[in-house]
Amino acid sequence: MGTSAEAEYAAFEDKVKRTVYIDNLSPQVTESVLQTALNQFGSVKSVQFIPNYLGPSNLAKCALIEMEHAKQVEGVILAATESPFMISGMPRPVRARRAEMEMFDERPAKPGRKIVCSWMKPNDPSFADAMQLKNFAKKSFAEADLLLEKQLQEEEKLAHQQQDTLKTNYKKYEMIDALLADGTARRLARRYNMNVADD
Amino acid sequence: MGSMGEGELSEELEFAWGRKSGRGGLNKGCQFYKSFRYDGLEYLLYDCVYLYKDGEPEPYIGKIIKIWEHYDRSRKVKVLWFFRPCEISNYIGDEVKVVENELFLASGNGVGLTNINPLEAIAGKCYVICTSKDRRNIQPSDEEVQMADYIFYRTFDVKQCKIIDEMPEEISNIDITFLLNQMPLQRPGSNIGAFQKPAGNVDALQKPGSIVDSPQKPGGIVDATVVPSDKNLPKENPAVKTDQTCNELDDRPSKKAKLHSSYESKDCIQKVRLISDGNDTKCLELKLDSSYKSKDCIQKLRIKSDGDDTKVLAPTAPYTDDAKVSAPSKKRMPNEKTTMVSDGKLTKESAIWSQHQNHKIDGPELEVTRRPQADKSKWFAEVGSWEDRLRYAHQQGRLVLLQNLDPAYTSAEVEDIVHQGFNESCKAKMIQRTAFSSPHSGQAFVVFNTRQTAEAVVKKLEEGCLLLSNERPLLGKMGTPCFPEKKPKFFGHIVIDKLRSQMPREMKDAISTSHCSQPNTLEYDMALEWCLLRERLDLALKRFYKEQGLQMRKLMGKLKSKKSLRL
Repeated sequence: MGTSAEAEYAAFEDKVKRTVYIDNLSPQVTESVLQTALNQFGSVKSVQFIPNYLGPSNLAKCALIEMEHAKQVEGVILAATESPFMISGMPRPVRARRAEMEMFDERPAKPGRKIVCSWMKPNDPSFADAMQLKNFAKKSFAEADLLLEKQLQEEEKLAHQQQDTLKTNYKKYEMIDALLADGTARRLARRYNMNVADD
Repeated sequence: MGSMGEGELSEELEFAWGRKSGRGGLNKGCQFYKSFRYDGLEYLLYDCVYLYKDGEPEPYIGKIIKIWEHYDRSRKVKVLWFFRPCEISNYIGDEVKVVENELFLASGNGVGLTNINPLEAIAGKCYVICTSKDRRNIQPSDEEVQMADYIFYRTFDVKQCKIIDEMPEEISNIDITFLLNQMPLQRPGSNIGAFQKPAGNVDALQKPGSIVDSPQKPGGIVDATVVPSDKNLPKENPAVKTDQTCNELDDRPSKKAKLHSSYESKDCIQKVRLISDGNDTKCLELKLDSSYKSKDCIQKLRIKSDGDDTKVLAPTAPYTDDAKVSAPSKKRMPNEKTTMVSDGKLTKESAIWSQHQNHKIDGPELEVTRRPQADKSKWFAEVGSWEDRLRYAHQQGRLVLLQNLDPAYTSAEVEDIVHQGFNESCKAKMIQRTAFSSPHSGQAFVVFNTRQTAEAVVKKLEEGCLLLSNERPLLGKMGTPCFPEKKPKFFGHIVIDKLRSQMPREMKDAISTSHCSQPNTLEYDMALEWCLLRERLDLALKRFYKEQGLQMRKLMGKLKSKKSLRL
């Protein structure tokens, strides 16, 4: 029994090494999209999205992609860090990292780990300390949630900003195009005695 | 739901008959209808509806195939059942793939095909779409499929207990065309078009006298003969007997009574075993149970006679008013059954247990061991997807979010901890870590059997302090999961609509998948802005978690040293 559990755990450790974690994914990204995107780095064995049950609900999706070899994982991470790598949309790039054990849904328990639990008596001298620790943990979770909300806001801000910039740029190009097309540019050049390259 | 009744029973809910269609039954005593209006919704023949039964975690889904007023003025509907995949999981082979929101229409002849229910058992409309490629089926659009609560394209033969891919000619003497998609498609809450359905010759298609011939005759008395399987529902029976207003419960013929009889006895044994595998306090609890039970009934009756709580039939609150929601006549499935039967017991156990708690568990450190396997197999048989189960557990207040776990714990270990710390069974799942989650403390969603258990656990964790390995106190609160929206927002992918219309056709049709950005483009600049933002946020998160880790270790160390000093 012990050895089989250890073997299972070792196999799982190996799987973790072969897996890459990708986030900042658009909700439109599907399993097959990811598969084709990462097949250029090696063959994809499985794709698993990490469900977001804790919110905020608009947090970008993240996924675990199991590759055939651990080396291919390095390849993906290198490519995604050296230049912005985009999957089904632009300009927000995705981010790739090494997968960690805790990211997996189904995982074997570490063999030999013993968990103990005990109810602390309210008259225990360190009960207050324990309560303090509890409150601290509670506070940390609340703060982390807040941080994520804030992050979403920042993302939204940047997205709007870029959208506006792009729109303005596009409008500018369109205007120049239109001026060139209807001959206004040439007329103006003649009027001010300037040379406009005609290409 | 629109109106809320505030008195005895359904009489208070808005109700009106719609179009008549004919008379039938014994001495033509029954008036048939094609539609009715109930609680603000227009129901038509062949609409799909939810039916609730108190104590059931999930509503049943069925298709109305007959509507009539009985000669004693009671309103009845005949319902053709849909099966959830989990209800017939024993008959779905491993090789059969089931879509997440798939249902199976009952077909064939036998118990479990249809039932006659009081009309008041209807709890709301359900949007079910048939995606069968059958030529008789009006093909739904993608959008309709997307919007649907459920889809079906196969049937489950209740006699052969087999999944059948083709649609039969007729089910329960009703031509199949009426059971597939119809023009206009039914939509929840769509009152328009209600009377435009080609319902003209519906009854003509049903074989003459089919109501009288059907195995379940209208009326409660006859149906009572099929009840035996409900014998081991001690919690409900007394209530049924004494509660006059609730006499709809009487016609609770057992859906699939035959199919599962063997299972039930097994479950019973298991239940007993489960209860006896603890120590002797448990025996005491067992005895106490019965006394509690009768109290429960009395309480129920009192609530009834008070008659001042509102009737809630909305699908989101199936539990709020268990005495009043009329029971649709459908037998529970084996796996659900165990949970149900145990429901009453577990609650009571926890109530008693919490009294014993203080001197029972306090003090000695307990090593978390594997829970007894007995309850693992059946008690929490895997029902539906985890997301569905989260949803239902949340609706019913049975969901708890445990926090401050060691992130390395597995879901099974969390279940074991709950068993050790609270002596309760549960189904737990660790929240998977992402780049955003804390590396110091993990969280897990835990589904309990009953709302009372969940609340008791949260209360205990709030007041007391359950220390896990490494002086880590466990936190718990009622879980409020977040589910993906139908149209999730995503920031950062920009499309210029005008550009798209100017693109050549091949480019428009091509699906862009992935590419690396080149440094000389506008896209690259924008991408770098995103990278910058991400790094900044990442740094903030990292610093925050580092600080958190330091603080936690400090507090934990303090606790530990104090403890070791005393030893």
